[in-house]
Amino acid sequence: MAWPALSVSWPASEIPPFFLMSSPFRRPVLRLRERSTAVLAGLAMLLLPAVLPPVTPAAAPLLPGAQAQQKLLRISAIPDQKPETLNRLYPLLANELSRSLGVPVKYVPVTDYTAAVSAFRRGDLDLVWFGALTGVQARLQKPGARVIAQRDIDASFQSFFIANTASGIKPIANQKGLSVLKGKRFTFGSESSTSGRLMPQYFLGQAGVRLSDFAGGAPGFSSSHDATIALVQSGAYQAGVVNEEVWQSNLSSGKTDPKKVIVIWRTPGYANYHWLAQPNLDQRFGKGFTARLQSTFVNLRASNPQQAQILDLFGAKRFIPATPRLYDPIEKVGREIGKIR
Amino acid sequence: MTPLAPAQHPWSQRRPAAPLLILLPALVLLPLAAVLPAVVHGGGWELIGQFAFAAITPSGDPVLLASALRGLGVTVAVALLGWAVSLALGLVGGVLSSRTVWRTMAGRVWPAGALRRLLAIPRSIHELLWGLLLLQLVGLQPAVAVLAIAIPYAALVARVVSDLLDALPTAPLEALRAAGAAAPAALLTALGPALLPGVFSYGGYRLECALRSATLLGVFGLGGLGTELRLTLQSLQFHELWTCLWLLLAVMLLLEGLVRLLRRRWGMPGRFGLAAGAVGSRGRELLLATLALLPVLLLLALALGVNPAALLVVQALPPFHPDWPAVLALPWGAMVASTLLLTLLAAALAVGVAPLLLLLVAPWPWGRLLLQGLWALGRLWPPPLTALLLLFVLKPGLITAALALAFHNLGVLGRLLLEAADAAGGGAEAALRCAGCGPRLALFYGRFSGLSRSYLAYGAYRADVILRETVVVGLVGAAGLGTLLLEALSSFAVDQLLALVAVYAALTLLGEDLSDRVRHRLLAA
Amino acid sequence: MTRSGSPSGPGSGSPSLVLELRDVTVPGRGADRLAGVSLQLRAGERVALLGASGAGKSTLLAVANGLLQPSGGELFWEGAPPARSQRLRQRQRARIGTLWQDLRLIEELSVQQNLNAARLAEWGWPRALRNLLQPLETAANAAALRQVDLDPALLPQSVTALSGGQRQRLAIARLLRQQPTLLLADEPLAHLDPRLAAELLTLLLRQATAPRALLLSLHRPDLVSGFDRVLALRAGRLVLDAPPAALDAALIQSLYGAESMPALAEPR
Repeated sequence: MAWPALSVSWPASEIPPFFLMSSPFRRPVLRLRERSTAVLAGLAMLLLPAVLPPVTPAAAPLLPGAQAQQKLLRISAIPDQKPETLNRLYPLLANELSRSLGVPVKYVPVTDYTAAVSAFRRGDLDLVWFGALTGVQARLQKPGARVIAQRDIDASFQSFFIANTASGIKPIANQKGLSVLKGKRFTFGSESSTSGRLMPQYFLGQAGVRLSDFAGGAPGFSSSHDATIALVQSGAYQAGVVNEEVWQSNLSSGKTDPKKVIVIWRTPGYANYHWLAQPNLDQRFGKGFTARLQSTFVNLRASNPQQAQILDLFGAKRFIPATPRLYDPIEKVGREIGKIR
Repeated sequence: MTPLAPAQHPWSQRRPAAPLLILLPALVLLPLAAVLPAVVHGGGWELIGQFAFAAITPSGDPVLLASALRGLGVTVAVALLGWAVSLALGLVGGVLSSRTVWRTMAGRVWPAGALRRLLAIPRSIHELLWGLLLLQLVGLQPAVAVLAIAIPYAALVARVVSDLLDALPTAPLEALRAAGAAAPAALLTALGPALLPGVFSYGGYRLECALRSATLLGVFGLGGLGTELRLTLQSLQFHELWTCLWLLLAVMLLLEGLVRLLRRRWGMPGRFGLAAGAVGSRGRELLLATLALLPVLLLLALALGVNPAALLVVQALPPFHPDWPAVLALPWGAMVASTLLLTLLAAALAVGVAPLLLLLVAPWPWGRLLLQGLWALGRLWPPPLTALLLLFVLKPGLITAALALAFHNLGVLGRLLLEAADAAGGGAEAALRCAGCGPRLALFYGRFSGLSRSYLAYGAYRADVILRETVVVGLVGAAGLGTLLLEALSSFAVDQLLALVAVYAALTLLGEDLSDRVRHRLLAA
Repeated sequence: MTRSGSPSGPGSGSPSLVLELRDVTVPGRGADRLAGVSLQLRAGERVALLGASGAGKSTLLAVANGLLQPSGGELFWEGAPPARSQRLRQRQRARIGTLWQDLRLIEELSVQQNLNAARLAEWGWPRALRNLLQPLETAANAAALRQVDLDPALLPQSVTALSGGQRQRLAIARLLRQQPTLLLADEPLAHLDPRLAAELLTLLLRQATAPRALLLSLHRPDLVSGFDRVLALRAGRLVLDAPPAALDAALIQSLYGAESMPALAEPR
């Protein structure tokens, strides 16, 4: 008899009638359980502030407090590698920079390419390890930003097109051969990755392959090089593209099974990763600071055990000075593809 | 009562009766079953197997646990803060856009309508979009996630509050006014206590939503456990992934249990509807709890490093070189069409499958528990991650995106359906069982009859939510506006971004209107 | 728990035994809700169940229709104990019709669909679904309505459009559609005005002819005249099993105690 009342008395609102109905017949046992649940939840809520770090790592350096900005060099990197790699790499580097430059250095993890660029534009990050594309984007949004250094391997960086062996795709002889990828399930890395998306898309375009030519009418974006390899190896995608460096490290660590996934083509070289610094570091940290920063990187040597570890984690023999002009071709490609506007 | 003439019999037409209606959305399974074989590529079953196995072997690494707990703390803090701010703002906004209030205070009602329409705009934009836009505007800071939740939620709460206010009987108010009470005092006395149960009940529901939103924002890099979930999934560290997931599940169930208990204890009107709301007796308790919550919220804000002053510093925006002809030339028709198709598919799946599953497990005593577990996972697990997981075995595209959205919303709908089924009392169902009817048919005829209209009405509302949510599965590719939106964000294409947000807002406003109409028709019948 | 070898064993030469309870016990908080109740109901018998509130009438009926599992004692429907297999159990329950005090009609469905709901035990899903599109078995439903003095023109109506009296009759018509051998009714006359109560009782008694049997719980001792037997419960124990004529003022006083209703206590 009471049924119709469910729906009739309701105002035209977001609240569906369900929200206001309770179970009329609950066994006492259940009530007891619910009560203890509630008590637990209440306790958990009270303890919550204790669980939180005093100030989250991302928060402190981003506060616009002038003092923090003056004294602290905030470094970061685009998140295109495994988080544990980044988390091991950057504290080491922060220590080394701090020692050699005589200022406190803090690593700020950023979880998104776009967020890294925006944070740099706003001046929330002082020194960032960008990819070529994100570096150009950041420089365009922050005129005067200084290109500091790149690795030896970044002068002529390569992307590898890879394929699942079961897909039947065979290694190709030249760039024109990329057209075999038409109609295949294909994945890039992250949308803003130079080696995982920008340059490969450029080379694909030259070979006459458009993004809508892939199976499903669009490529996938796996969001990282490691994920691309795993997804192609599993067969989730038939082919993909990764950067040379991550491919090599996955191969040597045994995570990649050469029976299941193979390289089908290596792109020509292009300039990639680099350190980009805010234009105002000299004003904040003293005259000549930017130059000292550059020489610190360039002078990292494998003969020093501490520095060797850093170089090893960066996958480099050494860092070399870099200039904005090196990235002009990237900017041109970026504009062609629409990633730079 | 004399029988009506045959021509007037509403039941004589060939029109599906109530319990049949509830199964209609499930018809979408038929075309889906036909298409699915073409979408499955099955390349990554091994990965799916590893993922499933990892559920029972989560990693116990203390370093990971510590970082997961920290992430969880951030997620919960963001959820609580965003929720509290939205509730406060929403109450104010709701009062300001109530016709009754304006009529009593100023003698005119048009400002209420105008404000209502204005509030529709922040509501129409998904919290993720707010988050990504605010990120551009004020930079990466903890307050961004809080605000991203607070803004659209406040507009939602405001609408509900004003609807509730305007639906309350005005007789007590008129009596007080006639007795000479001042307008504000009369409003507070006459409407305040009556409003509270509804607001409380809805507020509890919003808190659960806030936890899910905070997790989702994390998936897109705005901090908290969502970030860990995405990173561990992307690097295929399933054991670590499940550690985070179990923690989150525990917190979600705790929170839901707390909300359920408090709802029953305080706000809960009697069995069917608002009539018996007895807030008076619990009023003091409610007040105390609110007061106790305030310092907790302040502590959380401090711990999280929320700095309201920093929000006011809007800094350099990305350079803006609009190219409107190029924006106009985008394939809008196709994108809108696929967005709508995605919405319909996901909504029909979510709405249709929940009752179907309930019917399926009706005879088994453990079936219900199994479903509750499945639905809890669906609620917990953000749709973009489901999509990524599905890509292991399905081709990218609309169907994969729809399945991901559907799974999440199935979790929400299924729980509500079960709650409503419990609350509705099972008299008719028990009677059928006693007459020898099988458990499935008894549930179908006896319980679904009464539920179907209100459930479908809620489904219509949910479709509206799903339309907003399509933006989060843009990752999967070929999924309409959402895909282009993520692309525009990473290209800093402000012109495209503005156009996309405008189109999204327009679509969701239209969708809201449509779902309102459907809902009214369902509830009026 | 079992007291085997009782004089009237299940199915032992008594095919017309519709319901049998042997020493049935249902525990409650403190005192037992039913304590060692035994009774037999034969085809064609119409039995009234009396007792004060809380005496155990509803519990006894819930045991009889299988809703409540007794903790001790035995129960037989048409000579057979409750089946273990779900399918057989459902078949047994299909032969027990219960008239609920709140009727338990399905409000969202039409009169005809409600009548057909009584056939669901026999029907599979295809018929159950078709019934929701286009109600089935119109002739049988019309006949059932006529048996309870309702106009078959009501068939396509929504049950929400019916009056209180019409709803009562519809519930009985639904029972008839189920074709049970055992009719159970828990206080069907409570909350009804005297005229309606009398009408309804007449109707029920009229339907309860062999092979059917009727067990009906009553709050009003004045209405027992049309029954074949009267059972009475006090504090979970069966204290009376006699023809209606045996009911006198003293007995009623002992049954209802302080609760007795002088105005109604007019035994014959």
